[in-house]
Amino acid sequence: MQRCSRLLVLLILLLVAGQGPLLQAQSAAEDEEGIRFFEKEIRPLLVEHCYKCHGPKKQESDLRVDTLQGMLDGGGTGPAVVPGEPQQSLMLHALDYQDEELQMPPDERLSDRQIASITRWIETGAPHPEAKGVVVPRREAINWESARKFWSLQPVHDSDQPVVKSRRWPSNSIDYFVLQKLEQQGLKPAAEADRGSLIRRASLDLIGLPPTVSEVRLFVEDRQSGAYQRLLERLLASPHYGERWGRFWLDVARYADSNGLDENIAHGNAWRYRDYVIAAFNDDVPYDRFLHEQLAGDLLSSDNPATRARLVTATGFLSLGPKVLAEGDQVKMEMDIIDEQLDTIGRSLIGLTIGCARCHDHKFDPFSTKDYYALAGILKSTQTMESFARIARWHEHEVATPEQQQLFDDARLKVSQTNVAISELLVKANQQLLAKLGKDANLPEKPEPQYPQEIRDQLAKLRQDALTLEAAVPSLPTAMGVKDQDATDLAVHVRGSHLKLGDVVPRRMPQVFNDAPAVDGESSGRLQLAEWLTSPQHPLTSRVMANRIWRWHFGQGLVSSADNFGRLGAAPTHPQLLDHLAAGFLKRDWSIKEMHRWIMSSSSYRMSSQYDAGSQAVDPENLLLWRFPLRRLEAESLRDSLLAVSGLLDPSMGGSMLHVGNREFFFDHTSIDKTKYDSPRRSVYLPVVRNHLYDLFSLFDYSDASVINGSRTTSTIAPQALFLMNSELIERVSSGLADRLLELDHAGAHPDRLRRERLLQLYLIAYGRPPERRELDRDQRFLSSFLQQYTSTHSDQPMSVGRQAWQALCQVILVSNEFVYIR
Amino acid sequence: MTESSEQSQLLPLLNRRRMLKQSAIGFGHLAFSAMLARQAVADPLHPLAARRPHLPARAKRVIFLFMKGGPSHLDTFDYKPKLMADDGKELPFDKPRVQFAKTGTLLKSPWKFRPYGEDGMMVSELFPNVARQVDNICFLHSVHGTNAAHGGALLKLHTGSDNFVRPSMGSWITYGLGSENQDLPGFITICPTLAHGGVKNWGSAFLPAEFQGTPLGNASRPSTEARVKYARNRWLNRSQQRMQLDLLADVNKQILREAGPALDLEARINSFELAFRMQSSMPAVEDISRETAQTLQLYGMDEEITQDFGRQCLLARRFAERGVRFIQVTHSDSKVQWDQHSDLEAGHNKNALEVDKPIAGLLIDLKQRGLLEDTLVMWSGEFGRTPTAQGSNGRDHNPEGFTVWMAGGGVKAGYRHGATDEYGYFAAEKKMDVHDLHATLLHLVGLDHEQLTHRYAGRDFRLTDVSGKVHREILA
Repeated sequence: MQRCSRLLVLLILLLVAGQGPLLQAQSAAEDEEGIRFFEKEIRPLLVEHCYKCHGPKKQESDLRVDTLQGMLDGGGTGPAVVPGEPQQSLMLHALDYQDEELQMPPDERLSDRQIASITRWIETGAPHPEAKGVVVPRREAINWESARKFWSLQPVHDSDQPVVKSRRWPSNSIDYFVLQKLEQQGLKPAAEADRGSLIRRASLDLIGLPPTVSEVRLFVEDRQSGAYQRLLERLLASPHYGERWGRFWLDVARYADSNGLDENIAHGNAWRYRDYVIAAFNDDVPYDRFLHEQLAGDLLSSDNPATRARLVTATGFLSLGPKVLAEGDQVKMEMDIIDEQLDTIGRSLIGLTIGCARCHDHKFDPFSTKDYYALAGILKSTQTMESFARIARWHEHEVATPEQQQLFDDARLKVSQTNVAISELLVKANQQLLAKLGKDANLPEKPEPQYPQEIRDQLAKLRQDALTLEAAVPSLPTAMGVKDQDATDLAVHVRGSHLKLGDVVPRRMPQVFNDAPAVDGESSGRLQLAEWLTSPQHPLTSRVMANRIWRWHFGQGLVSSADNFGRLGAAPTHPQLLDHLAAGFLKRDWSIKEMHRWIMSSSSYRMSSQYDAGSQAVDPENLLLWRFPLRRLEAESLRDSLLAVSGLLDPSMGGSMLHVGNREFFFDHTSIDKTKYDSPRRSVYLPVVRNHLYDLFSLFDYSDASVINGSRTTSTIAPQALFLMNSELIERVSSGLADRLLELDHAGAHPDRLRRERLLQLYLIAYGRPPERRELDRDQRFLSSFLQQYTSTHSDQPMSVGRQAWQALCQVILVSNEFVYIR
Repeated sequence: MTESSEQSQLLPLLNRRRMLKQSAIGFGHLAFSAMLARQAVADPLHPLAARRPHLPARAKRVIFLFMKGGPSHLDTFDYKPKLMADDGKELPFDKPRVQFAKTGTLLKSPWKFRPYGEDGMMVSELFPNVARQVDNICFLHSVHGTNAAHGGALLKLHTGSDNFVRPSMGSWITYGLGSENQDLPGFITICPTLAHGGVKNWGSAFLPAEFQGTPLGNASRPSTEARVKYARNRWLNRSQQRMQLDLLADVNKQILREAGPALDLEARINSFELAFRMQSSMPAVEDISRETAQTLQLYGMDEEITQDFGRQCLLARRFAERGVRFIQVTHSDSKVQWDQHSDLEAGHNKNALEVDKPIAGLLIDLKQRGLLEDTLVMWSGEFGRTPTAQGSNGRDHNPEGFTVWMAGGGVKAGYRHGATDEYGYFAAEKKMDVHDLHATLLHLVGLDHEQLTHRYAGRDFRLTDVSGKVHREILA
């Protein structure tokens, strides 16, 4: 017990240390002192006396002491080192030479002074340079009381507004928390961004598209107060807002239009869930309601078919995961699907890796296998699949409107009427035939050829009609989603195997959370699950989402591991701000648009991204936000921006763009590529084909689409450059932008002036700012030498050469850092 | 740190924070390079730079010959006299609990086996050319997987997991070792299949994107069309592109004035230069017009039946000699190729004919160029096939025991390791699961499978998950 809590303290220290010395200067200094002691006194002893048998080459008794992890894990007999506990540390036991069986090093006992050093090192918590990467797994049963003390499981606590020195800087409460941390480190926030950068940043941030030239001009020239607020309101009211922010949620929901994994067949109706999400963001559906709909929309009341369709479509959230549809073991398949659902629910909504408790109690977080199977029972009582037979079929809800249903019923009625007419005619014809053949005759096996011609014609016509009518029956729209089935509790699966069952666990919420509602025996319990998750007292739901919103605005979360708030996740850089945001989210009735207004109105958001060498030296990762983080456009914004500035973007919304039928293969064994991405629609509508994402998506760090991803990475790789140099998309957009520039044609204008005018437009369209003198000169030189170089080798028309030069220039501007990065 | 040389088995990607700090105080990238050279860690501006392995490496690179669909070990390299004798009888023990399809009684191999090489190793007449190379080959007869369906089995073999998204083995190896050629990708997969896991089989998952496999073509297209994507420009010539990139470099410096020294922006400037070099280096490797007629013949490029796969094998050698770290070649047509649920004889005859000569040619060519010593060649399907018959003349999927073979870099030559039971259904002796296979493969290229980790979502991940054992018996 004592050991456990000490370990926890150590662990927290280590985690905090992992955030960098600037956050915990005191402990960091102690840390460094400890590591120096280790390097000077302890490591040389280990190298000389232990490495030979317990080092990189040999690990006798499975023990290695050349890594911290090795010492903490220990060998076959237990941990060699228990930080802070010399009594428990087997290493000291062996060094002591008191135990006949265990004496190390084997040839000679170390000196008393040396043993004292090692004892001291262990007493002080065994400081070690590798400590940052090491988290000590729990070895005994979960201690629920101490587990509840972990920061993310504590109730949200909204602190008083911190006192700051520069009282003129804060615009709202958020800024006090940010500024306090900066001032503690002697840092100053960057100045406010200029208007051009601000509108570009806000537009790309809220709607994923750059501002047009006139939008920039209007904003830059709007000198009335409240110009920025008006800008935010315009963007929040745009339907493009949902396309941008809904897409973030789709990352969290591991949305895809195909199953991926082993059998890559089309989720032909997943797009209805996507459109539901976009609409929900545009309508600012409160987040608690949004979660209710996705977890249990089928169990919520609705007063009309349209609402009902919307609600059952929302449950697609549970059904969209990748499934091993050809798994031969059907029980395993079902449990794997449930596991995927639990993992998604845990990480997306409360940032916890519940899925880890499938085979054993969670090694780090307070979840037992009983907790796991208690929740799994809720999903076992939920029907996700229609059939588990290979290739398995997921369930779909019918979501027809009354009109669609009526049309369908009418058409079906006509088919059945015709079928009735056929049977009646057959009965009649058979009676006539029997009468004709005489009393004792039996009906021949194939009577039809003996019918009179007239009847045969009638039959043929009716049958033809039936076929035509059948073909005319409209298919009813369906949506992937779940519904309740017989409520059952699950037994613990020992080591995760369904072949080895333990005790049955009643469905319930995880034990570590007090005050969770009970699950009633009759229903699956999904509704209670949703209620529990969205209770204002839940410590995680509001924190996790507030952090996500922050992450999507700033490119980095206050908790950098946005999907993991457990012990292996990162500690918050601004714990008080995180709680302030979470509490503010509740106060704003879970309104996400209100969160945007709040966050984007802060001075913290409106800072420029101006570099400062002094600040960089103190906080190189900008964790404390001394400037606005520079960040690359996400794949979708990059593509949409390219299409937008070249005038090629089709802004129409919604609907399916799949060209493969529902449940049909995107990729069967033939490897033939049936994907198409040449549409000018916004990226959110392009098919998301697992295992075969659109090249631009996979190159530019799109979500993998198989697992939740609340924080995409940003890579910089040569294939991205190849795409931007040579792809058909870049050819189209650079050519489109060149055309836009060449359309500018003042009759009689001097060619030099026209050229400068076009360059001005190019910079305004692409960067939202006029070019500098130096840039004008440079670009003109480029155009001239491109023409010269070209005309010396080709005899084409100068006009088309000119166009080519402009296209080449446009391409450079479009792939440049300034276009691709948000400042 | 005085023990830095001993400690350098741990090759973490360099602490980003320390790096950013260095850039702030004006060391710049030059200083990094010096530091990186000392520490053997991935350099963010040159992530593919070659890195020192954990262990003395037996092989510097891997060529993986993947036979899609599951070739039958029983009809190729795992000779079972008892199966021949008991044709038509019931299998005298239980079949696996989960099977892909129903199978009937024992089915003997329709092919004759005969001894080859110094120790008289039995190989069937399906692989007469490979058979002549048995003295270079190390057979692993006891490999077993977990999944009886193509998709799961492919993913398991390539990534170590059949139900989670994990980096593929080529990505792990490139992540661990970098590459020896900075103008080419470190991991190339030629004509891969897009089905059954598709991209996941060469994806880098949570490893940095630099380490994903670069596909050349795919299995539905002939290998003459196997080219890296976007390496050709349709509207600009090379000198025009050069002008463009010079302008771009200047334009890109603009933002640095405001943003300060930012590594990702610098890296981005570099990435265009690397791309420009790749544009000429890739086609140069893909162009086989200067290979001699003798070489082409060796790979079967002069015959219709072998030329498609022969070209793939030849490309593999060309990439190998240029320092690419992991090269995969896939034998798959637009069907599931080796998947003979019926018509075993016709199917396997055709398949073996297509690959036998090219594979033998590759081994001979590597050897004569001195490359086989430090190139590990691995041959495998996603599973083997059942000794029991499916229908009258087919065999079903069998992940319970099958044969993989290796040749070259660091494995015993002319050696058999492990065995299946007397009918070849289950792995029986010195069983080697897929994690063991991966652990051993990593060991051969100098990587300790327990140390080759990547921290993601709060956990250290490995190719071998939480298991895997190096089968040291096969090390030369």
